[in-house]
Amino acid sequence: MKSRKSHRFLGTAILLLFSFSCASDLDLDQVNDLKLEPVVVANLAYFNIEAKDFVSSGTGELELIEETTSDIFNDSFFRRRIKKVEILFELENTINRAYIVDLLFFDINGNVIHNTNLNMQPYTGIENKVAKTEVFQDANLDILKQTTKIVFKLRMLAGTSLSPSSPGGLKFRSGVTAYIVVE
Amino acid sequence: MIKIVWVVLLLFVINSFSQNKQILYNLTSVPQSLLTNPGSDFKYDWYIGVPLLSGISANVGSSGFSAYDLFASNGVDFNVKLRNVVFSTTREDKLAINEQVEILNGGFKIAGEQNDTYVSFGMYQEFDALSYIPKDLAILALKGNDEYVGKVFNLGDLSAKAEMLSVFHLGFHKNINEKFILGLRGKIYSSIYNATSTNNSGYIYTISSNTGVYEQKIYSQLQINTSGIAKYDDKGYEADVVKDITKRALLGGNLGLGFDAGFTYYPEKNVQITASIIDVGFIRHTKEVESLSLRGVYEYKGVVPKFNPGESIENAYEELKGAIPLDTLYANYTTWRPTKFNTSIQFSFDEDRSEDCDCFNYNSEKIYKSGVGAQLFAMTTPRTPFIAFTTYYRRKIFNALQMKATYTLDSYSYKNIGLGLSSNLGPVNFYVLADNLLEYTDLTKANSLSFQFGFNVIFKNSK
Repeated sequence: MKSRKSHRFLGTAILLLFSFSCASDLDLDQVNDLKLEPVVVANLAYFNIEAKDFVSSGTGELELIEETTSDIFNDSFFRRRIKKVEILFELENTINRAYIVDLLFFDINGNVIHNTNLNMQPYTGIENKVAKTEVFQDANLDILKQTTKIVFKLRMLAGTSLSPSSPGGLKFRSGVTAYIVVE
Repeated sequence: MIKIVWVVLLLFVINSFSQNKQILYNLTSVPQSLLTNPGSDFKYDWYIGVPLLSGISANVGSSGFSAYDLFASNGVDFNVKLRNVVFSTTREDKLAINEQVEILNGGFKIAGEQNDTYVSFGMYQEFDALSYIPKDLAILALKGNDEYVGKVFNLGDLSAKAEMLSVFHLGFHKNINEKFILGLRGKIYSSIYNATSTNNSGYIYTISSNTGVYEQKIYSQLQINTSGIAKYDDKGYEADVVKDITKRALLGGNLGLGFDAGFTYYPEKNVQITASIIDVGFIRHTKEVESLSLRGVYEYKGVVPKFNPGESIENAYEELKGAIPLDTLYANYTTWRPTKFNTSIQFSFDEDRSEDCDCFNYNSEKIYKSGVGAQLFAMTTPRTPFIAFTTYYRRKIFNALQMKATYTLDSYSYKNIGLGLSSNLGPVNFYVLADNLLEYTDLTKANSLSFQFGFNVIFKNSK
């Protein structure tokens, strides 16, 4: 008799628990809407050359060319997910000579598909810096995605001869801000 | 009905947290309490659990956020909710699941001259998963480093593990003297699969620089060990998962050994002290092991043309991938089971003088109608141990119905009220235990829930 009573008690308790329980509507399918939108900053390139490293050229014009591989934008992950890229180029000159820096973007077939150019006046004692930001978006962005090689062309124009004790330097730096969307 | 389906789904799909079985612990009218303390004061001639229905338990726990926070169907963009969750949690917040189903559980008495020895044995299946919120990695994935120049992202935030295993156990307990009961249990673990990534460290930072635009460094010591999983990645492999799981569950998996120990002591007739240590053991993973690691250090400078005096970097991205390679390893490894520690003190009162009281020995559940007590639970985790403190009230409502009400404080909740009921209809024992009852007003907003029920057949003499 008592055990029947105890079972009725137990049954009622369980029933009560579930009767008072409630659950808000959940929608687990929302996971499919997941969208990551990281904005990543990183160096693209830099160099820093002191005046004494240009001594050998005397007063004449000097041209230095360097090829570098740049395949980060055509890596399959980034190629599919990058939506916009901003590249900052900055050149600072404290040498008493004029410089031109060209960045030539090559595709896999060896064609130049983009060209960035920075002109520097000789240093005269006041801050001597140029900076520009290029934005690659939509059709323009394909240029970056096709880039496999960047050629740095550094030209020192004719001017005053430099000696091992000449002060100053030429400082180039470039940074990337990449807008990525993963969905 | 829909509510019940929801409850079951929540409890069995999202499933579990802390493995703290505060209601079951020391509830000696239920044989399964022996699994939380092999030295429980539980006496029987023999008992057997109804196969697959003797003990089903599930715990779901998440500190810092609830299912509602992420998945509420309230018109708010999921990505907004996800960002809110990530930014409102800390690296110490965690999500845990524990589920156990008893496949077999039984026990019998070996009569002794002075004191009887009680043997218990069985097999259960367990799934256990624990993940800390990988906060810094989540921020990096959601927002990138643009707004975080100067911040050091901690790769050690990644700490997670998951395991399915079967456990074979054999234990005994006996009265050393009238007041002291000691119990021991040996365990063989057979791991069905395991994935462990808990010993990670490293960092990523971006700071402003005078040389380049940024100074960026990655130091990575990340590794995930797996066993019993790798072959399912192989596209040519035709998986017979059911056969594989059955074989591994029946001692064909990666094996391990462990033990439980515990005692019950009555310094006075109405005072009871208990303690137990559960799952002191390890599993050695030697079969079907595969580990992935990302180890290395790299300072990312970008491209540095050769006419720069000093170093030149022709292909920065390749250098980065070369410096921190993704390696696949096939080394054996050992995992330790999460060890649980329980202790309690109980004061009993309201002596039962009814005619059908089956009072014998010291068992306070039999002699006294009521008791109050306190319990402490601790469990090892990959970081700081999980600790919970419980106070409870135990009451014999009828001879055939025991009740235990608990109030528990832990890192998930400070308002966890639980209730356990155990009834005996003849030899048939049925029990149901549930905690966080206040959260039943809206289960989706609960930070942790546990639920356990089962059927047993118990025969005992009434001396």
